[in-house]
Amino acid sequence: MKRALLAAFLLLAAPASAEDLVSGISQDTIQITSNYTGTDIVVFGAIERAQSAVGRAIVVIVRGPDEPMTVRRRDRMAGIWVNRDAARFEGLPAYYYLASTEPVARIAPREALARYGIGLQSLTPSAIGSHHDPEPFRQAAIRYHQRAGLYVENPGSIDFLSETLFRTRVPVPAGVTRGQYNVEVYLIRGGEVVSAQSTPLFVDATGLERRLFNMAHNAPLLYGLACVFMAMLLGWISSVLFRRPA
Amino acid sequence: MEIYLPVAEMSVNWLILIVLGTGVGFLSGMFGVGGGFLMTPLLVFTGIPSTVAVATTLSHVTASSMSGALTQWRKRAIDFTMAGVMLGGGVCGTLFGVWLFALMRRQGQMDLIVALTYVIMLGSIGVIMLRESLASLKAYRSGITPSRRAVNRGWIQALPFKMRFRQSRLYISVIPPIAIGFAVGSLSAIMGIGGGFIIVPAMIYILRMPTNVVMGTSLVQIIAVTAITTVLQATSNYAVDIVLAGLLVSGGVVGAQLGVRAGAKLRGEQLRLLLACLVLMVGAGLLYQLIARPADVYSLSEGVP
Repeated sequence: MKRALLAAFLLLAAPASAEDLVSGISQDTIQITSNYTGTDIVVFGAIERAQSAVGRAIVVIVRGPDEPMTVRRRDRMAGIWVNRDAARFEGLPAYYYLASTEPVARIAPREALARYGIGLQSLTPSAIGSHHDPEPFRQAAIRYHQRAGLYVENPGSIDFLSETLFRTRVPVPAGVTRGQYNVEVYLIRGGEVVSAQSTPLFVDATGLERRLFNMAHNAPLLYGLACVFMAMLLGWISSVLFRRPA
Repeated sequence: MEIYLPVAEMSVNWLILIVLGTGVGFLSGMFGVGGGFLMTPLLVFTGIPSTVAVATTLSHVTASSMSGALTQWRKRAIDFTMAGVMLGGGVCGTLFGVWLFALMRRQGQMDLIVALTYVIMLGSIGVIMLRESLASLKAYRSGITPSRRAVNRGWIQALPFKMRFRQSRLYISVIPPIAIGFAVGSLSAIMGIGGGFIIVPAMIYILRMPTNVVMGTSLVQIIAVTAITTVLQATSNYAVDIVLAGLLVSGGVVGAQLGVRAGAKLRGEQLRLLLACLVLMVGAGLLYQLIARPADVYSLSEGVP
């Protein structure tokens, strides 16, 4: 929200003669169906009143809904590995994909990146619950998501179709959380954000998947009974089908 | 080949799940156990969150036990009185187990408790079965028929509240069956198992029930316990995935029937020896995971525990 406001403010404040950004996405909703195995969206954009390409960078970020998470560290106790210390984080996204024209460290100074939440190292939780130094736990959370392919930094992955027209392909993998995503496009010049645009992207389950999920949470008793009934029915059917002719 | 699991919120290859269901079903039919102790670790291995794995495996056990119990029922090999008494303890045990499961999940120790319980249970039961089956195989080879020591029930005979179990030809206290029921019920909720590999030896070695009714009676007990635990897991932890359950069950019931046929070709002692080896292997694998240095000492769980 804070970032969106900042982006909006930048748009309004930009003088008429400055470089500006127009961007769009190939689809604004992703439907998770029973055979969903992940998909790609295309983010495209154009730079208006473009100046020299030197010193200019484009960053595209697709950011999933924030998700509370708990990171635990295992320590060896009496020969076995036991969860000991823990840190609880809020405000870290469930999905974060960054595409840029060059590695983020070269685009802008650390503080500027942190202000806009650009780059994995700029991902900071809004609330921390821990009795220990949370930094190694935060690093572990980032590592965990990177391994799962949910946090990705992909420099050099923006294609320029012309001097001012660009596009990039963003994967939305199978393991994504449902909810509202944000597609953010930044135009950065000399380490400062010149223009930014944010577009919402909705990821939701449809049809049967959605009904089952809702039922599991809204009518859990009925849902549990349905599971048991199904299991018993299938067990009964199989015993009848396989009954040896006497 | 991929299917989306609505509760686990992930896509998995459905063919793998059906094969897994069939394979575990085959073993469970062959050995007369539910197979939960194999299924839960295997599901976790394929990347399904352990809470969903524990809660959903139960449906697989319900189905394969249902299939087996009906076969036993046609042979009149079920002691419903015994099953009923054990279930009394089982229901209390289940409630306790689900409560403990939720508590452990909040403490972040769920995985450890599940793994430790598995290692201890599988280790001890595996060793007992291995020793027993080797001894009876040896006795069989040397031509001595092992006699059932029906008289020597020791401390069990001394307990009060005796009751007659006609089908099992037993007159014993109701305390041991209720205690066994309670223990199995709580393990069922924590480990996602029916508890066949605990009930069957307990019935044979502690209660000394005749072997021909042990199978059917334990299956009835397992069906009831897993059915109750499924409903409790669904209402208190929202961890049952019906799509996953459907896939496992479909494979499982077919595998179970094939397993029963394969099992009929083997001698009881041989079966128990094989099962003992299987149980020990799974136990050793889990123990290794507890002892070996993890690839990353940090682990992450989503949501507020």
